[in-house]
Amino acid sequence: MNSKMREVVNEHMDTIIEKWIDLMKEEKGERFFHFMPQHLVEKTSREFTMLMTSNINEGDTVLNNERLDDFTEKVVRFGWSIKFVNKAIDNFASVVFELLEDKEIITEQNLRIFMGVFTAWINPLRESIIEAYAIKWEQTDALQKVALQELSASLIPVVDKVSIMPLVGTIDTERAKLIMENLLEGVVQQRADVVILDITGVPVVDTMVAHHIIQAADAVRLVGAKCMLVGIRPEIAQTIVALGINLSDFTTTSTLRRGMQEALSLTNRQIVEVE
Amino acid sequence: MNNRSSVEIFTEWDIVAARQLGRNEAKNSGFGTVDQARITTAISELARNIYLYAGKGKIEIERLETDGMKGMTIIASDEGPGIPDLRRVMEDGFSTSGGLGAGMPGVKRLMDDFKVESEVGKGTTITATKWLR
Amino acid sequence: MNVRIPILKLDEVLIVSIQWELDDQTAIQFQEDLLNKMHETTARGVVIDLTSIDFIDSFIAKVLGDVISMSSLMGAKVVITGIQPAVAITLIELGIRLENVMTALDLENGLTKLRTELEA
Repeated sequence: MNSKMREVVNEHMDTIIEKWIDLMKEEKGERFFHFMPQHLVEKTSREFTMLMTSNINEGDTVLNNERLDDFTEKVVRFGWSIKFVNKAIDNFASVVFELLEDKEIITEQNLRIFMGVFTAWINPLRESIIEAYAIKWEQTDALQKVALQELSASLIPVVDKVSIMPLVGTIDTERAKLIMENLLEGVVQQRADVVILDITGVPVVDTMVAHHIIQAADAVRLVGAKCMLVGIRPEIAQTIVALGINLSDFTTTSTLRRGMQEALSLTNRQIVEVE
Repeated sequence: MNNRSSVEIFTEWDIVAARQLGRNEAKNSGFGTVDQARITTAISELARNIYLYAGKGKIEIERLETDGMKGMTIIASDEGPGIPDLRRVMEDGFSTSGGLGAGMPGVKRLMDDFKVESEVGKGTTITATKWLR
Repeated sequence: MNVRIPILKLDEVLIVSIQWELDDQTAIQFQEDLLNKMHETTARGVVIDLTSIDFIDSFIAKVLGDVISMSSLMGAKVVITGIQPAVAITLIELGIRLENVMTALDLENGLTKLRTELEA
């Protein structure tokens, strides 16, 4: 029976692909089938079909892992959502089902048996696609975490005795610890007298973030330098006061430029114009 | 391999021995300098509490490895008078020894997990864990 | 067992470099020695260098804080130098802020800071 199914599927491959593409074009939310050049759509669709039918062709239980990995990687690169990929599998299955019904290979008598065949065919595919996506996500997630750590806190020595740490993005406890460590190691290494924490890129300063900043500044004082806070936007100033956070021990300025002037004057220097 | 080691706390010198053990274990477990300082300091605080309030007790250090997570647990136990008001000793600034009152809440902040079990007249056991990041 | 921490005198400044882990006895002994030396020499400033110290617990912090308060009672200014990043972080997390303490990155900076402070 399976050989018959295989035969028909292989014979009518072009029709299947065509019908499947039509179905996919009706799907909302993905632009792939509308905006990609025709030959690319054709090529990907053929690849997809090859994969979908490969385990029918090679016997029921053997799934070609290598081809699946390769395909998944391509799909991921196209930026298809997992929902869309699932839909693609569903649609493909129903196109094949309809075809087999048309050719009267599936009849009311053997419907139950074919249901089993279809389940055995589709489920492993779906599972490995989901698994492949999950692994991809985990990898991406891990990479992004590393990337975030790298960009999250570097202390830049701008001029002798003055270093700046620009903070960008949300600060959580984990990041705050990293910031504190980088800040202190940097101060000692760069022999900075003044460090400027620039919070222009921090979207929200709540009690917790302020607490971390105050702690960092306190620790900076202990190693023997002074910590300034710059980049306080009006809305941040409002929240800080509204929350009753006391930053009066700090030198704070609204912009990095004014902070820099302040830092220079703290180290008994100033910027002068030369003729 | 036995991944648990301990120091009996009886004299002031045992505090030094306990934190030296802790520092070495932390270093060998792969903790960075900041975490080494956190662990050493936490042990020092816990050992001093035993010395001051219970007279004698024990600091145990256990290396952990579960579900791919590595870490270190400090268990400070004594059969001293126990802590009558647990909530109060966990408040910042509370101290009965005339120290800086950094003791318990401070240790809690230094470590990742922190648990106190105490019964008046029977003793106190404090378990504190630091995970390797 | 008991080792004393050497206290050096340079002009009107006392210089102390703590080179090994402080046990309680040594810490208290140090407090006493420093105050005596201050009295004998009428030094006006003290630099305590902690570069080699890899942790400070609340007890040592208290001894240090007391030394600073006592010194100021005796009319001397104290600068603490070389606190390691790890030590600073641990102190802050413990909740010990060591307020009103002058600090500097290293001994050299500390001496400069103390001299400016004494001249003022």
